[in-house]
This record gives sequence, structure tokens and C-alpha cells, in this order.
Amino acid sequence: MNRQFSRNVSTKKQKKQFPRGSLRVTSGSLITAIIKKDLKSYCRNKVFIFLTVLSLVFFVLIFWLMPDKVEESLIIGFSPPLAVLVDESRAALDELSYDREELAELYAADLSQGEEDGLVIVELEDEEQLGRVVEGRDEVYHTAAGYVVIGNTVGGRDIPAGGRKVNVSIGIAFPEKFFAAAARGEAATVTLYTRADVPLEIQKAMESLVREMTYQIAGYELPVEFADEETIILGRDRLGQQVTMRERMRPMFAFFMLFMETLSLAALISTEVLQRTITALLVTPVRVSHFLAAKTIFGTILAFSQGLIIMILVGAFTPENWLLLLTTIFIGSLMFTGLAMIIGAAGKDFMGQLMTGMLFMIPLMIPAFAVFFPGTAATWVQLIPSYPVIDLLAGVTIYGVGWSDSFGALSYALVWVAVLYGAGLLILKRKVESL
Amino acid sequence: MNMGRVMRMLRKDLWLGPRKTFFLFAVTMPVVLTLIFQVAFGTLFAPSLRLGIVDYGESALTSGFLETAGIQVTMLNEAEELKNKVEQNDLDAGLILDAGFDAAVNAGERPLLEMYIGGESLAANRIVFIITGVDLVRGLAAAESMLPVEVEIITSGEEGLPIAVRLIPLIMFYALVIAGVFVPGSGLVEEKENSTLTALLVTPVNRSEVLAAKWMLGFILCTVMAAATLFLNQAFGPRPLEVMLVIAVAAALNSAIGLLAGIFSRTSASFFALVKGAGFFLFVPVIFYIFPEWPRWIAMIFPLYWIIEPIWQVSIMGEPLRTVWFELTIATAITAALLLAALLTGRRI
Repeated sequence: MNRQFSRNVSTKKQKKQFPRGSLRVTSGSLITAIIKKDLKSYCRNKVFIFLTVLSLVFFVLIFWLMPDKVEESLIIGFSPPLAVLVDESRAALDELSYDREELAELYAADLSQGEEDGLVIVELEDEEQLGRVVEGRDEVYHTAAGYVVIGNTVGGRDIPAGGRKVNVSIGIAFPEKFFAAAARGEAATVTLYTRADVPLEIQKAMESLVREMTYQIAGYELPVEFADEETIILGRDRLGQQVTMRERMRPMFAFFMLFMETLSLAALISTEVLQRTITALLVTPVRVSHFLAAKTIFGTILAFSQGLIIMILVGAFTPENWLLLLTTIFIGSLMFTGLAMIIGAAGKDFMGQLMTGMLFMIPLMIPAFAVFFPGTAATWVQLIPSYPVIDLLAGVTIYGVGWSDSFGALSYALVWVAVLYGAGLLILKRKVESL
Repeated sequence: MNMGRVMRMLRKDLWLGPRKTFFLFAVTMPVVLTLIFQVAFGTLFAPSLRLGIVDYGESALTSGFLETAGIQVTMLNEAEELKNKVEQNDLDAGLILDAGFDAAVNAGERPLLEMYIGGESLAANRIVFIITGVDLVRGLAAAESMLPVEVEIITSGEEGLPIAVRLIPLIMFYALVIAGVFVPGSGLVEEKENSTLTALLVTPVNRSEVLAAKWMLGFILCTVMAAATLFLNQAFGPRPLEVMLVIAVAAALNSAIGLLAGIFSRTSASFFALVKGAGFFLFVPVIFYIFPEWPRWIAMIFPLYWIIEPIWQVSIMGEPLRTVWFELTIATAITAALLLAALLTGRRI
């Protein structure tokens, strides 16, 4: 009753003091004044400035430290070298009327050139050396001249200049007369050296490979036919161009920056609510609508600028995606501004506001992590408001999707923006009016 | 120092604690993080190969794939559904087996092996699918056509720890820092902000008693939450008493850090900024357990290494306490230095 009475009095007093049209103040100038005041308050808040700068530096640092290459090849040690295997079995193979040209080709084959197909074969002198390499007692380096095996690298000694270390964790040691035995259908034992941490499916596949090689040498053809490569690969073939961990992190960083700025705006609003500075503002020509418009503009600019900076620093913009990416960041900024209004309207102290913020943000973070999982996100993840924004950011910055492919996600994001921003406006308006 | 007064303040903090934000945060965080890291993201770093199969004729090849370790098989009913899932990267590969596939193989007809590979599948995985598939098809053939080759396997090194285990130090870190650093520190700062500290200090209570009560609050909560975290992650190991001793040393160190942060912060906001700013410095050692191949000496530079390493060795690796006496000595020395610094700078509160 008293509150209603005082509000009526305040509004009447306001109208009496500042009748409409009596002062040369426009809505635009009032909103600008509030935005300027907010900007000053934000700049004075050392904690948020510190956290913003810290987050920016931290995210950019982490981004550039992340691996920018996906190791997708299977690296196998192989002993003895193919030429030795062919040489040792040449007499038997000749006896069995093997095609001489095929044998010559096999003899001269360079097994180290298979990286493009995902299979890297490192030829080693003998079984003993293979065992040492797999155990990690010897190291293998890839140089311009081929693979080099080094026994003593203590203190960096003997490492070839420009050499790249190759991790050989599994290897196959054939008996020297393996080809002859396989061609004659005689019993042979092949030794598979493997480190214990090599996945079981790879160990099993190597056993299968040995068996299949035996079949091929014995002259058996494949028991099945395969369709051509273009038919069996579904979706965009990313062989050699896999999405790296670094690329997957881009949308997450943008999301976390928006989150940081949400907390900043929420802190500004809750301070106004706690200290009741809004009531002071409302005895001036400022109306609630001016206040809400100013918070919307300030919050959106704040979040948008931070999102923009981080995306520039992690090199997300391209001549093709810049407009769509800017649009996505803008939509995300508006959504998070709405959230900041909801959190700020609670009018809690710093710790309380942090807790309320976390309650909202933890569920909203789930889609950001879902980007790391392959495939389509679960249905319940897709229902989270932040999902379309993350989906758009991932699509634009990782997969290079365009406007037409993004239409659905953009529409879905706008629906959530309308819901969250609408809810934010309503809750903050009611809070301001109740003060 | 009057222990009676310290205990009375501690009792008050424990009684009022559940009403405070960080207290609740400290209690719920280990549970939430265990769920997030172990259930949701545990498989992220150690993914299985995902194969979809549409089998129209109960092929023995399906059983072969189902029994192959490291390949997670999903049975589907429609070929189109399978192709869509492979294209969307919901599966790494897909296999469609017609009704007469096995019979055709046995008859030597060389039927088409209708296998689809997702464009985002890694090259190594593509090879694994194809080689395994061909080998399983060979297995369908009559036994007399099998070639007499044997594969002997020699394994070296240690089997890598599952990622779910390597993530435990990360969860422990949060349990230790939130309960040990945030709770005593924020409690002290809140007392400053609300001026209850000034009120306290006009009573016979002195500064060192206030600090002791706050430190003990962090110590108790940190010990309980760290033990609960290990319990939740089934990582208590074979020597529970020794684990509790190691946890107590860790709790003492973290609470001392929290106390110092509380002394030097005037407001909750500055306390939060200080802890968040220093968070990375505290966090670094944890990364070395997720990536064990990284050089361990770097981790030793950071203070929390000296408590995370003993917890790792005694609780997770099951080693006896005597193997970590050096780390525990260093941790105790750091704790003593921090508590001394807290006593000397306690005047600031």
C-alpha cells in the first residue's frame, strides 16, 4: 500500500518537475547518458576488467597452444625390410613361377610413402631393432632422407637436424623366408610387437593384416568385392584435413567470453537494484523503458565486442564467413543480455550473484562441450537455449557452413532469443517497478 | 590462544555454513564434477570405434564384429538410417549385410561387402574397419582353406591408465580448492564486509583465534570433501588410513592458501578475482596427470603438485605412504610457511 502510494507520489512529482516537452531531452540522449554511466561503472570495476583481460589472454594462449594437427595415420614398424624379404624368398618364388615384374616392383617398393592413405610403414633392420623401437629404447626420426633409428638421444645428442620423431608403438617381425613359406602354404610364425597401451582393435587389425598378407602371397584373391572409394565414403571426406582440437575450441571460447560479460552486466544491474540507484534515476525524466533500452544496448555491445575480439584473436573470420559470424555473435550477445537481466534482477551480492549465474550457466555450457563429441548432439542437448548459438558458431568457424545451411539454426536461435530476452525484460521491469 | 573460543567460532561457522553460497558449492561440486567428467566426458578422450550394422540374414559376420574388442556395434533396421548416421558422423562406419551374404562367401562368389565409411573417420580407423572386415569374412570360409600362419604377440610397457582414472586429480583439485581455499577465505572476507569481524574483535577473541577457526573450518570441510570425492570415484585404494593422512596434509595446505587469500582481500569480488587469477597457477600440476607423457619436473614447480602427487600415488596407484614421504615433507613445509605468513599478516584483517 505504502509502496504503491510512494510510487504514485513519485510519478506525480516527476511529471510536475519534468512535464513532457518542457525539457530538451530526447529518449536517445537519456539512453546515451545511462549507457555512458554504465560504461564508467564497468571500467571502474577492477575485478571484471581484470577477469575480462585474464580470460581473453588465457583463452588466446590456450588456443594457440592446442595441437593444430590430427595424427590420423597408423604407424607400423616392419622387419626385415621388404627388399630383404623378397631377396630371401626369391628362389622359392621363382620356382613357383611368380611374375618377375611384380617381384621387381615389390623389391623396389617404397613403403614409407603411404602416409596419404593413413598407413605409415617404418622399415627396420631386424627383429631386435624392431623390439627396441617398440619398447621405446630406440627412437625413430623422419628426415628428408627417410627414417633414421637412433639409440642414444640423452641430452638431445645425435638427433638429426630437422628430424621429426615418429612414435612406433606396434610392429610386425616376419621370418626372413616368410614369402616363400606363405607361397608354399607352409606354416610360419610372425611376431607382433606392441606396446600395452595400443588399443585392442589396432592390435587385432594387425593380426588380421598379417593373415591377409599371407593369403595374398599365397595367391588367394579377396573373398569380397568393395565398391569404389567415392561410393563408400559418406559425407565430406576429411582425410588429411580432419578438424583439429584447436578448431573445435573456437566456438567454446566465444561462448565463455559471452558468459563472462553476462556476469559483468548482471553485476552492474544487481548493484543498481541493491543500492536502489534506479529509483533515483526514475525521479529524472528517465522512464523504465529508457533504463531497459540502455541496459539492452550496453549489454549487447559489451558482449558483442568481447565475442568479436576473441574471434579475431583466434583467427575465426574469413572473407566468406564474416557476416554470418558477426550475426551469430550478435544473436548470442542479445541472448546473454537477456540472461544477465534475469540474473541481475535477483539483486544479490557478489557471491549470491555468482551462484545464481552458475545455476543458469552450467546447463547452458553443456552444448559448448558437446561440440567435442563426434556426431549429432542428443535431443535433450538440442533443447538447451544455447545450443543453436553454439551450433551456429561451430558450423561457421569449423565446417564453413553458409547462410542457406544456417537458416534453421538461425531461426531456432532467434526463437530462444525472443524467449530469454523477453523474460529478461519482463523480470527486470517488474523488479524496477517494485523498488 | 584459547582453544575453547576457537572451537566456539568453528561450531558457529559449521552451523551457519550450509546457508552460505560457497559452502553449498563445496559440498555439491565434487558430485557434479564426478558426474560430468566420469559419466558424460569419460568416453571423450578414449572413444571406441562406432560401427552400425544392418543385417538382413543373421550373418556370422555380425557376431564376429560384436565380439571384436574396441569396436562398438549398433544394430539398425534400415539401410537409409544407417547411411544417414554415417554421413552425420553419428557412426564411424556402417555395414549392410544381405540375406545370402554368408552363403555367397562360402560359394566363392565374392559378394559385395557393402561397407560405408564416414568422411570424418580417421585414416587409421578406416584401415581397421576394412582389414577387420576382410579377416572376419575369411573366417566364414571353410576351415580347410585357412592358411597355417600364426601370430605371436609380444607386449611391452604398461597398459595406459583409463582416462576416467586420469581425470580423478582434476576432480580432486576442485574439491580441494573449493572446500579448502574458497570456504575459509570467503568466510573471512564476508565477516569483514558485514563488519561482524569488528564486532568479534571487541570481545576477548583475538585475531589469531579467528584465523585458527577459519583455517580449521577449511581443513575439516576439505578433508571430508576430498575423501568423499575419492569414495565417489572408487579410488580410495587399499590403504584407507594412509589415504586419510595424505588428504589431511592436502587439506591443511589448501586451507592455509585460502586463509592468506582471505586476509589480503577486502571484498568478495577482489577475493574471487585473486583466487581466479591464481587459479591457473594452482591448476597446472593437474594437467600432467591427464597427459602423463609431459615432463614431470615442470609440475614440481607448482605448490599443489606436492599434495596431488601423494594422493595420486597412495590412493589411486595403491603405493604405501613411505614412497611419498619426500612430497609430504615439502607439502608440510609449504603449509607451515603459509600459516606463518598468515599469522604475521593477520593484522591486516
